[in-house]
Amino acid sequence: MIRSIWRYSHLILAVSSSIFLLLAAVTGTILAVEPVSNATKDYSIEGLNEISITQTISGLKSKYMEVLELEITPSNYVVASILTEDFESKTIYIDPNDLSELGTVEDRATFFNFMTNFHRSLFLKSTGRIFVGIVSFLLCLIAITGLILLIKRQGGWLKLFGKIKERNFEQRYHVILGRWFLMPIIIISATGVFLSAEKFELTPSYSIQHTWKENNYDEFEAAELSDFPGLKKIHLNEVRKIVFPFSEDPEDFYQIQLANREILIHQFTGEIVSEQKYPFVQLASMLSMQLHTGEGNPIWAIILFISSGSILFFMYSGFAMTLKSLVKKKPKLTTTADKDEAEYIILVGSETGKTFDFAYRFSKSLESHDKLVHLSSLNEYSTYNNAKHIIIFTATYGDGDAPASATKFLKKFKQVEPKNPVDCTVVGFGSMLYPNYCSYAEDIQKELKAHSSFKSIMELTKINEQSFEQFRGWANNWGAKNNIPVHLVLLDSDIISRKRTVKFKVLDISEVNIDNTFLLKLKPHKHTKFKSGDLIGFTPPNARRERLYSIAKIDGSILLSIKKHEFGKCSNYLGLLKKGQIIDGTIEKNTKFHFPSKAPTVIMISNGTGIAPFLGMIQNNKNTSIHLFWGGRSAQSFNIYNSYAKDALTKKKIESFENAFSREGEQIYVQDLLLKNREFLVNAIENGAVIMICGSINMQNGVIKVIDNILEETSNLTLGDLDLNKQLKIDCY
Amino acid sequence: MKSLLKFIPIATLVFLGIVAFNKVETTPVKCMVQLINYSGEGAYIITSLINPEGKYEKTLYVQGEDSEWYSDIPEWWKFYGKYRPNIDAITGETIAGGERSIILLQIPTEKIDAGYSIRFETSVEDKAYHKQDVQFELTSESIKSKVEGNGFIRYVRMMPQ
Repeated sequence: MIRSIWRYSHLILAVSSSIFLLLAAVTGTILAVEPVSNATKDYSIEGLNEISITQTISGLKSKYMEVLELEITPSNYVVASILTEDFESKTIYIDPNDLSELGTVEDRATFFNFMTNFHRSLFLKSTGRIFVGIVSFLLCLIAITGLILLIKRQGGWLKLFGKIKERNFEQRYHVILGRWFLMPIIIISATGVFLSAEKFELTPSYSIQHTWKENNYDEFEAAELSDFPGLKKIHLNEVRKIVFPFSEDPEDFYQIQLANREILIHQFTGEIVSEQKYPFVQLASMLSMQLHTGEGNPIWAIILFISSGSILFFMYSGFAMTLKSLVKKKPKLTTTADKDEAEYIILVGSETGKTFDFAYRFSKSLESHDKLVHLSSLNEYSTYNNAKHIIIFTATYGDGDAPASATKFLKKFKQVEPKNPVDCTVVGFGSMLYPNYCSYAEDIQKELKAHSSFKSIMELTKINEQSFEQFRGWANNWGAKNNIPVHLVLLDSDIISRKRTVKFKVLDISEVNIDNTFLLKLKPHKHTKFKSGDLIGFTPPNARRERLYSIAKIDGSILLSIKKHEFGKCSNYLGLLKKGQIIDGTIEKNTKFHFPSKAPTVIMISNGTGIAPFLGMIQNNKNTSIHLFWGGRSAQSFNIYNSYAKDALTKKKIESFENAFSREGEQIYVQDLLLKNREFLVNAIENGAVIMICGSINMQNGVIKVIDNILEETSNLTLGDLDLNKQLKIDCY
Repeated sequence: MKSLLKFIPIATLVFLGIVAFNKVETTPVKCMVQLINYSGEGAYIITSLINPEGKYEKTLYVQGEDSEWYSDIPEWWKFYGKYRPNIDAITGETIAGGERSIILLQIPTEKIDAGYSIRFETSVEDKAYHKQDVQFELTSESIKSKVEGNGFIRYVRMMPQ
């Protein structure tokens, strides 16, 4: 609940300020270029701390007719306003060491003036300034709420720079850029607020008043400038500005602005007439100005540039995420029964809504058997008069916390006393690449087991990476236990018609081998782009759901390895194809399983038909060192791939190739090959090798477990690291 | 008629000659403008030469570089806005409340002691506009003096060079 408050305020603030924020961020990014480009004119003077101001003042006075002001900019440029012999006023950069003129101060480029104006007031004068002020205040709030969300998401301050769990591009970079740029953005916006507030007199007003006794300076003994007591010890590096006396009137003083104070010096005696410290507000204002503009500090200006640029990315990615989740929520996931009439209660803990999709499929399939089903979030947990079964589907958030729709569940669970005993089942959703895989589901399972009214009829089932097949497996088991044949219904989003259908010609189709597997060679009718690892989908006649197969690109055409399943509509339909026949299919890009172009070594692990995409990748390999591991039933199972493997070995496309047979010889699985090669494996992984896994889910689970164990024993890396480093590519089914 | 036509190029040449070689002699005057303490935006300060009839004769200095605000200085805008001559050379930064600045005015020498006046008009965004914040007649004495302002200007001090 608390988290959703932060999230909603973060979103609402962002939406309401978006247009002005966009303009301010774009102009701010452009303006940040100015201090950087100014830094390229190098009038910067080193060693200002060794030059006394008396030396500079007397030097300037003797060189020029009249000196009005001397200013030292934050970039250590020394700027003097002087009058020449011809009574012309000039503002010049000088070198105080020899008083030479380095260049003339040029007017600020009109372009930057224009941009500053736009940035400050959007050309709407005062109205614009108010808007910009409010927007920077909102930006400050957005950044703060963002930081709070980020800290919660990462599991605390200390883990702020830890691993990022988000996979999705927008989410991932929202977090990555967030942790680097939120602080600078808070600084930009807070100083922006301060500067706006100052213009509208919302900050305490300040100004220092110098006072001196009038007529006290009419009589004096003149001293040499170099002996001026107030000036002798001041060096140029401490000075911001010196205003020279206006006339020779003894009540016209040298006004010297230092970092934190201002002093008036008698122009003839050198006595300090008045000394005033700047009030805090004025110092804050000067600091705000420097921090906000980056003036005089090109490095900070570059940080400002990147930060304001990053605001544009935050806006894009934030809105993209919001839009996605809005689109996702569109199908109304409702069930017909009221909570007190339903027999089957389905409770969901979901962060992004995906878990709801699964729960919805499941409830619809129960409803198709005329069961009364009630579907709700875990947060809505309550008493259920007629409940016989409670089925809980839940994801896990962050470091083992409850996801958004389950935050209140455990508290409610302790308070609500169920009316009658029920059977219960828990299904966890997550990614096994992370240590807290389904840990919130485990927590719930534990609580349920400890409660006498709940009878767990099945152990906790974990679904990895939203695998539909795993979920179907669980649903079948559950159905068998409860005598309900569960056929998961399809959602609209499952029925794929968005992709363009392409016609393919059957070039070749092999005999079925002892494992019921055959090879199919296709050529697209028209020019169609595809790569090994992409997917091809076929929807057989009378079927609603398409089946996907992994593509091997061999000699420019498509090679598929297909296993016939007894009742598999698609595999049997494909098995009946004849050479020369034309078939409709769709090609789906699968970039996550493309061959990594930069890896030094690629380790390919597959079983059964999973070898197909690898055959294509191997044939197109240029100079990557490839090691292939394959698991099957017997040596005969491999016969259909033999010609490809031999070709690869003779052409030195692969470095090594090992087989594991589960029904022959040693009777081992492919993961056992990995155990045998553990040293090679760790060494390769630590040197940046990419592991690609293709085949069945069971093989994937086995392989992942083995790699996890090997890494834990012999390496500092974890599976999560591999995932983040993009060293792990998985395509299993 | 013909002789008159012939006369035109000669007259033009003579006229241009006078204009070119008779550059108006000016007196450089150092001028310090001290503002009162107020908070808000920097003040736009326009310094103009006013003829004996009270009309604008010439713009001497403009403190405020952003021309989008010039129209908010209505009296001067009526004079300047019509033709908008280039004033880049006599333009400087604005100054904020409590600050002072020193500028150099080039006053045509013949206008001193000739009934002409100098006018400082000020305008601050969202605050006020003072048509005659400071105005006084230009005499050899007055260009060495200090004159109090009525609006955002506390005083103006002048010093011929």
